[in-house]
Amino acid sequence: MSDQVKILDGNTFVVSDDRGDIEASPTDPTGLFSFDTRFLSKWVLTVNGQRLNPLSVDDLQYFETRFFLVPGTGTVYIDAKLSVIRERAVGGGFHEELTVMNHDDKAVDLDVRLEAACDFADLFEVKDALKKKGAYSTRVEDGKLVLGYRRETYVRETWISASADCSVDNRGLTFSIHVEPHEQWTTDLDVAIGHGVRGTSAGRPKYGRQSKRARPNMEVSLETWLDEAPQLDCDWDALKRTYQRSLVDLAALRFSPVALPGHYLPAAGLPWFMTMFGRDSIFTSLQALPFAPDLARTTLVALGLWQGARSDDFRDEDPGRILHELRFGEMTAFEERPHSPYYGSVDATPLYVVLLDEYERWTGDTKLVRTLEGVARAALAWIDDYADLQGNGYIAYKRRNETSGLENQCWKDSWDSISYRDGRIPGFPRATCELQGYAYDAKMRGARLARAVWRDPAFADRLEKEAAALKRRFNRDFWVDDGRYYALALDADGSQVDALASNIGHLLWSGIVDKSKANAVASHLMSPAMYSGWGVRTLAEGQGRYNPIGYHVGTVWPFDCSFIAWGLRQYGFKDEAARIAAGILDAAQCFEGRLPEAFGGYARELTKYPVQYPTACSPQAWSTGTPLLLLRTMLGLEPSGEHLIVDPVLPQGIGHLELLDIPGRWGKMDAFGRGRVDVSTKPPPSTPPHCGDVAGVDVHVPMVPSRPCPLWYHSGVNSA
Amino acid sequence: MAARIQGLLEAIAARSDERPLPTTISGVVRLDVEDAGRTEHWYLTIAKGTVSVARKGGEPDCVLRGDAATFSGVLSGEANMMAAILRGAFEFEGRVLLLVTLQRLSPGEDKGADVPAAGYARRQS
Repeated sequence: MSDQVKILDGNTFVVSDDRGDIEASPTDPTGLFSFDTRFLSKWVLTVNGQRLNPLSVDDLQYFETRFFLVPGTGTVYIDAKLSVIRERAVGGGFHEELTVMNHDDKAVDLDVRLEAACDFADLFEVKDALKKKGAYSTRVEDGKLVLGYRRETYVRETWISASADCSVDNRGLTFSIHVEPHEQWTTDLDVAIGHGVRGTSAGRPKYGRQSKRARPNMEVSLETWLDEAPQLDCDWDALKRTYQRSLVDLAALRFSPVALPGHYLPAAGLPWFMTMFGRDSIFTSLQALPFAPDLARTTLVALGLWQGARSDDFRDEDPGRILHELRFGEMTAFEERPHSPYYGSVDATPLYVVLLDEYERWTGDTKLVRTLEGVARAALAWIDDYADLQGNGYIAYKRRNETSGLENQCWKDSWDSISYRDGRIPGFPRATCELQGYAYDAKMRGARLARAVWRDPAFADRLEKEAAALKRRFNRDFWVDDGRYYALALDADGSQVDALASNIGHLLWSGIVDKSKANAVASHLMSPAMYSGWGVRTLAEGQGRYNPIGYHVGTVWPFDCSFIAWGLRQYGFKDEAARIAAGILDAAQCFEGRLPEAFGGYARELTKYPVQYPTACSPQAWSTGTPLLLLRTMLGLEPSGEHLIVDPVLPQGIGHLELLDIPGRWGKMDAFGRGRVDVSTKPPPSTPPHCGDVAGVDVHVPMVPSRPCPLWYHSGVNSA
Repeated sequence: MAARIQGLLEAIAARSDERPLPTTISGVVRLDVEDAGRTEHWYLTIAKGTVSVARKGGEPDCVLRGDAATFSGVLSGEANMMAAILRGAFEFEGRVLLLVTLQRLSPGEDKGADVPAAGYARRQS
């Protein structure tokens, strides 16, 4: 298949080949998608019956692109006397300006045709190649081609129209055109999407006008977005580029929940995960807090709004639980999939309280904390009342929806991510260690909010007592004596699942690690078994299931490393945090500033450049947020009362670094630092060539071609 | 059917005391319930985290229109509100946020906790 081109606006996006054509098959997720439904599965341009050949693609913005084409396919003959430009912008459907240019000194008569069709597949159906239960229709109405699908009251339609004269049939549009020498012909094409209600047609959805409003708005908001973010300057140009890339990608990942128009939260990934995910939206908001605090605000409000309210096995919902994922497709509509929303995540709920507290510490927005008091209290109650599935006082998970629920409800959600040292896989319920850290942190932070904002010192005392007891028990029950680290999990019997994994780094971030044990944990994280030179492996070398290209069993996840570095920093391991930051930012440079979701766990000396793990989603939100959190960590930015503390500990190669206009309860503050930490047991980050000379050659080689697209992985529906 | 709808809505209003909403949510939802050729109106007023029900009201911020059986299904918790909207079972216009609130207050079993958690108690200010 040709290279894919993706453009998007919110949860509407187009994935086509590099000619701009769409020819979806059950296994090929191309098309125009909106609200998790495919609205166009075929969109093929021909001139005189011939397909076109791509010369180049201009990615203008993340929401628009331009294809330069010539007749004649493959390597045969290119007729340079004719060229075709398709300029496409997405937004409530898409708009395409099609131009045919005649470079000859003779006039030409041509048949230009666009073939169109649609299967109206739900994203989940694309995966499982399920048969549709409704009926298709095609009609020509008012010179427009209307593709439709109806199942009971559910109606979805695609309206296709052109500005130039054409003949419309049930399979497409034909333009019989005459182009004078050195002249050109142009038409606008509108592909609009419609949601009918109660079994009736959507009635002519208006695409064109929406787009003309939407496009400039997106651009203006991108400029404002960049202007409002802190300004970074430093001696290391690559870091400046990475920072800029992160800000632009974060802008593209902004997603406005239907219930909160005009407000944005970070969606999980582009384009397949352009929806609200509890875990991803919270982690990314935490990373971006010193740079774009409004993301956290919208995340807190939206997730609070959708907080679980009842016990519902199909949705793995409990009162107080924070959602995992919200989807809008047909299978969700008919309750054949639980995503309306689905609650099968056990970390989002404690992390919600963590984010609320961190947000208040930075912004001083006590009003929001008061508004969300009931939500936060219900979330804290959920930890004790619903998450203790083993009856031992620890958060654990076991899905109640056995057919379409998620098996692994922690961030390492692949089937083999949780294992014993010898590679065996435990049963359910599973209480992974980082969940207990999040619970501890949620109680401590909840206590601070109860005292400072809710004026309920008795509740604060209770939470602190519970947190202290949890920390005591945790340090006893999870500590693997012979290895001097925390077990990855407790199994259904309460026995240790004793693999050594990166999860222990999150424990430092949460503060649940006894001071006396912190040294041992930090040593493990920086040991050759765990630290690859680029970052910390998800599973240590030497463990039964270790595989440097295993999704959660040996690859390095930049987001994971950013929280590990933050944790190291909080326990005083400032140099170690700087070293991890340097490794990840070096890697970012090799990916032109855009960190992938994960890359291979090979030792840095071995591959010289990080080997990207194949993934259909890029950019990924929490990878995009990683450089931001690393900057915060290296600069030692920490709110203290009304002030911002700056305590920089930077890798040498960075040289001078300044971050200006950091927003917060203090107004705007600047931070300055100079690199002093020698991270040069590995090459220092100031020497770009060690990856620069090979980047772009092999970096994107898929390592595991048979791996499922992470879309299904993440949505996790029967992923194992 | 009107009596059943009335009962379900009153239960939803009562439930807003035990399922705390973000306190900034406010607005009026008008339900247009079609039953045997007639349309009955109900007004749900959401203010400061609580809900009240009336048969008359002012300009709504959100209107939800559907047949009585569909309303009965979602208000009783047998069907999911969000799924019903996606399915096109309702017509709606206005602020979606208020419909999310309705979903949150629709009934359902609470079989996890033996005792209502202390965290649910609404602090009296």
